[in-house]
This record gives sequence, structure tokens and C-alpha cells, in this order.
Amino acid sequence: MNIWKISIRNFRFKPLYTLLGILILSVSIALLVGIQQLDKSFKQQLDNNLGDIDMVVGAKGSPLQLVLASVLHVDNPTGNISFKEAKSLIKNPMIEKGVPISYGDNYKGYRIVGTTQDFPKLYNADLYEGRYVQKSMEVVLGSTVAEAIGLQVGDSFQSSHGLAETGGHDHDEPLTIVGIYKPTHKVMDRLIITGLETVWDAHHHADESVVDGHVTNSEREITSMLVSFRNPMALLTIPRSINENTNMQAALPKFELERLYQFTGVGVKTITWIAYAILIISCITIFISLYRMVRDRAFDLALMRSYGANRLQLVKMVAYEGFLIASMAFVIGVLLSQIGVYFILEMITDQYKQRMPLLLGPIELLQTAGLVALMVLSSICLAIYPILKMNISKILSYEK
Amino acid sequence: MVRTENLTFQYTNEDTVFKFPDISLGDNQNLLVLGKSGIGKTTLLHLLAGLLSPMDGVIEIEDEPIHNLSSKQLDRFRGQHIGLIFQNNHAVQSLNVVENLETRLFFAQRKISNTMITDLLEDLDIAECKRKKTRELSEGQRQRLGIAMAIVHKPKVILADEPTSSLDDDNCNKVIQLLIAQAKANNANLIVITHDQRIKPLFTHKLEL
Repeated sequence: MNIWKISIRNFRFKPLYTLLGILILSVSIALLVGIQQLDKSFKQQLDNNLGDIDMVVGAKGSPLQLVLASVLHVDNPTGNISFKEAKSLIKNPMIEKGVPISYGDNYKGYRIVGTTQDFPKLYNADLYEGRYVQKSMEVVLGSTVAEAIGLQVGDSFQSSHGLAETGGHDHDEPLTIVGIYKPTHKVMDRLIITGLETVWDAHHHADESVVDGHVTNSEREITSMLVSFRNPMALLTIPRSINENTNMQAALPKFELERLYQFTGVGVKTITWIAYAILIISCITIFISLYRMVRDRAFDLALMRSYGANRLQLVKMVAYEGFLIASMAFVIGVLLSQIGVYFILEMITDQYKQRMPLLLGPIELLQTAGLVALMVLSSICLAIYPILKMNISKILSYEK
Repeated sequence: MVRTENLTFQYTNEDTVFKFPDISLGDNQNLLVLGKSGIGKTTLLHLLAGLLSPMDGVIEIEDEPIHNLSSKQLDRFRGQHIGLIFQNNHAVQSLNVVENLETRLFFAQRKISNTMITDLLEDLDIAECKRKKTRELSEGQRQRLGIAMAIVHKPKVILADEPTSSLDDDNCNKVIQLLIAQAKANNANLIVITHDQRIKPLFTHKLEL
């Protein structure tokens, strides 16, 4: 027999009561861990999607719209810009590279992006099978797209005009799938990548009267140019000079998204506060249950004092029980949060056609564990106080 | 050996000062302390057990002046040398009979011997309740468990507070006989505090408060 064994017997003495305490605490831990994790996943996802893109150059309009359209691929583009003009911009030595993208079509709601070989490099994307685009009318699928539409390398399909799934008319010339990318957990997963020529040729055939067979470099247009800087100093000068001196606009995705996040982040913050409130409530619950336990067992504890147990031994006994409850609640809480977060991310994947990575940061976990430990410790200390002040003689004289 | 001298006690926030007659018990001597309720019987018992500290006076158990011990030393002394028996509650609820006895030995810092525990339970005729929790025991079994708890660690002094008041004549007699026999077997002093006149004839040394 030792203190630990007595604690465990006490722990098991009223199982329903103990279980209830564990449950309440674990739910609040689950909420806390889950929210932190979702928040982190969401933020990381936004950062991830930026890849190496420091700046986007596109047609004048809303900078947020430009970023949403060209970087996150969720909004409509602001318009088109001249390929030639855009190319001249990136000759600046402070610019490392510029990747042109050109929109036009979709297949079953997945956007077809005409671009160069540099685009997948922005996201460190590798081929899962097949090869890269070599000529017009060839496409490589992002991993989510490949999974969703169920087509293989070698298959072809007809794209629909425009970015929306319905409403556009089908193009005549089919696109051939030559490759599939590995999952990047970034926005690229839900794109269909092709060469710039594919987009130009498709619209050339669709709108022959305008182009009339004389497509030259100077007439070619792109939706936007994704730019990465060589030198962070460029952030200060280049966007301003583009916005002031050309009929194009430059937007900084990091800045725009942070601005957006500041507004949408309010929700996350509120939920985090609610989780903290629940944590405090469950700590009060632990305190009350430990306090009641000490009260209920006052006679048993006094009896143990009469057996020769000293104060420290009784304090240990109650503290062990508290920590047993807290650590079980923590394990269950983390498990619950993982199940919850998994389902939420599944839902997000369904909705946004993009997979998010499951992130459980050890630092966040440690922080939560520390916080829970601190709260439990203080409630245990409060509950233990009556043991120290206990008048054994009095308790033993008033037998139940 | 138990000896007290000029023992007085006062509860905080109360005016009454308890003055107790001197006690002097040699080896194997038993004592019955009689008195009406409220006269300070339990107070005396708790003083002897080191659960209360006297205002003034001397308490010596086996030549150890326990009125001088610190709270921690008292816990230790009580654990090793004193066995307490209460009227109704006899053991920790969350533990079964054997675990209770093991706990008693653990706090007394004595070696835990299963054969010794089994022998004791057989002596007291509760060996079949080994794995039962206290609430599953009958009143008589509980009282015997209380005796087991008070003697398992071979104390020098057994202190019993109203051990018979909730028992019928038959059981009352049995319990007191058992206590006297166990005290003798363990070479311990037995001090019984009661207002139960039925057990008076069984003691040679008596103290009326």
C-alpha cells in the first residue's frame, strides 16, 4: 500500500462522479486545442498559398480581388493586362522571377490556368505521374482535381468557357491530360495547369473574328503576373512605381490577406475566448469536485491522520487524484479535438476543393497543457487548503 | 505505560477549562474512563492520542513525553504506537478490508505481511470479508474491523471511544472481551472511554470524570 494506490482507490470509489469531472474538463481542453489548431491551420494555409509570390500585377481594380483571383483562385480576375508590358516590368534586377497566368476556362468548376513551367515551382510541386505540358491543348492536373474528376493521364475533356461551372459554352477542341501533380496542400491542388498558348489558342478559335489569325506577342494578354522579389527592398519601391506609372496595378498578397484576416480573425478570437471561459469553468468544476471530495472524505482523511498520516501525505493523496483526473482529461480532450478537427477539415476540403494539412503544433499543445496544469494546480491547492486547516479531533468527535 | 500529570485543556474560543485527574498505568494495565457526555471524555482520549495538544501538563506514553513533540513527530508517534477505536466509523470507505489494514501498516511505517493480516482477520472472525468495502459489512463485522485497525500495527496503547454504545448486550460483552484479550496479546495498555455502565465490572482500574 502506498499513497498512489490510495489515490487510485479514491479515484475509482465514485466512478460516475469522477467520470463527469473528466468529461467536462476534456471537452474544454478539446475546444481549446481544436480552435488553436484550426486557427494555425488556417493561417498556415493562407501563408502556404502565397508560395513564393511577393507581388501580383494585374489590371486596375480592387487589390484584394486581384489577390483573391490570382493567388487564391477564388474570385474573378480584375481584367487582362498586356503580356508584353508585364514582361518588361520583370526586367528589374530586384525581381527574381515573374510567372504569367492566364485564365479563361474551367472544367467542372476547376479553373484552367495557362502559365509557364515556373508556376509549379512557386509551390514546389512535383509530378506524381506523366510529364509537364509541352504544347498547346495539353494539361497537368492538380492532385485534388485528379481525385475529384476521376480522369487518368491520356484522357481528354472539353473545357467550359468562363470560370463558373455552368453557363459557359463548351469549347470544341479537347484538352489532353499529360500529367498529374503530387499533393502540395496548397491552392495548386485544385487547379488544372496548362500552357499560356492553350488559353490563347482556345480563345483564338472561339473568337476568330477578333484575332483573325494575326496573333502576335504584342497583342497577347494575360490575367496577371505573379512576381517574387530578389530583394525585400523591392516591396517599398516597385509596387508604388507600377501603380503610379502604368495602367496596371500591383498588389501585395501578404498585406492584402493579413488585412482580410484581421476581419475574419475576430471569429476565431471570440471562439478562443469562449474556450478559455469554458476552461475556467471546468477548472472551477474540478475545484468544486476536489473540494467536495475533501469535504466528503473529511472523516476518512481525519481517520488516516489518526493512523499516523501526516499533512503532506494527505495533500499528495488529493493532488495525485486531481492530476489523474486532469491528465486523463487532457488525453481524452486532445483525442476529441483531433476527431473534431479532422471532420471540420474534411468539410473544408469538400467545400473549398482543397486539402488542408492537419497541424498539431507541439508548442500550442505544450502551452495548452501548461495552462491546464496551472489551472488544475491552483484548484487543487485551493481544495487542499481545508486539509491543512483540518481539526482532526473535531471531525473524529462528530462521527457520521 | 501511560502517565499524565496536571493535564489541562481549553478549546479556542471557549471559556471552559478541562482539568483531568492524573493517570498512571503500568504494563498490561487497563483503564475504564466513565463520565456523562460533555464532561471531556473524548477530549482526554484525543489528548492521549496526540490529536489535541494540552494547555498545560504532562503526557508520557512509554516514557516518551508526547506533549513536547512537534505535529509531524506526533503523527509518526501516533501511527506507530497508538491504536484508536471509534464508535461508528472504523475504516476508510474507498478501501476494502485488507487494503485498510495495509494502509494502517503503511502509515505506521511497518512491514506489510499478508499472513499476519490473514491471521488477525481469522482471530477476529472476519476473514471471509477480506475483499469487502466497509459499507458492505454488518455492524458487528465493522466493529471487529475497527479493532483490527487499532491493533494490526502492534501499538503500545489502545484507545477506544464508546466502542460498545451502539451494540446490544451480547455483542457489547463480546467486543470488550475481545479488546481486553487483544490488548493482552499485544502487551498494550487499553483505555476505554464510555458512559456505558454495562462494561464496568470488566475493569479493575476505573476513572470517573
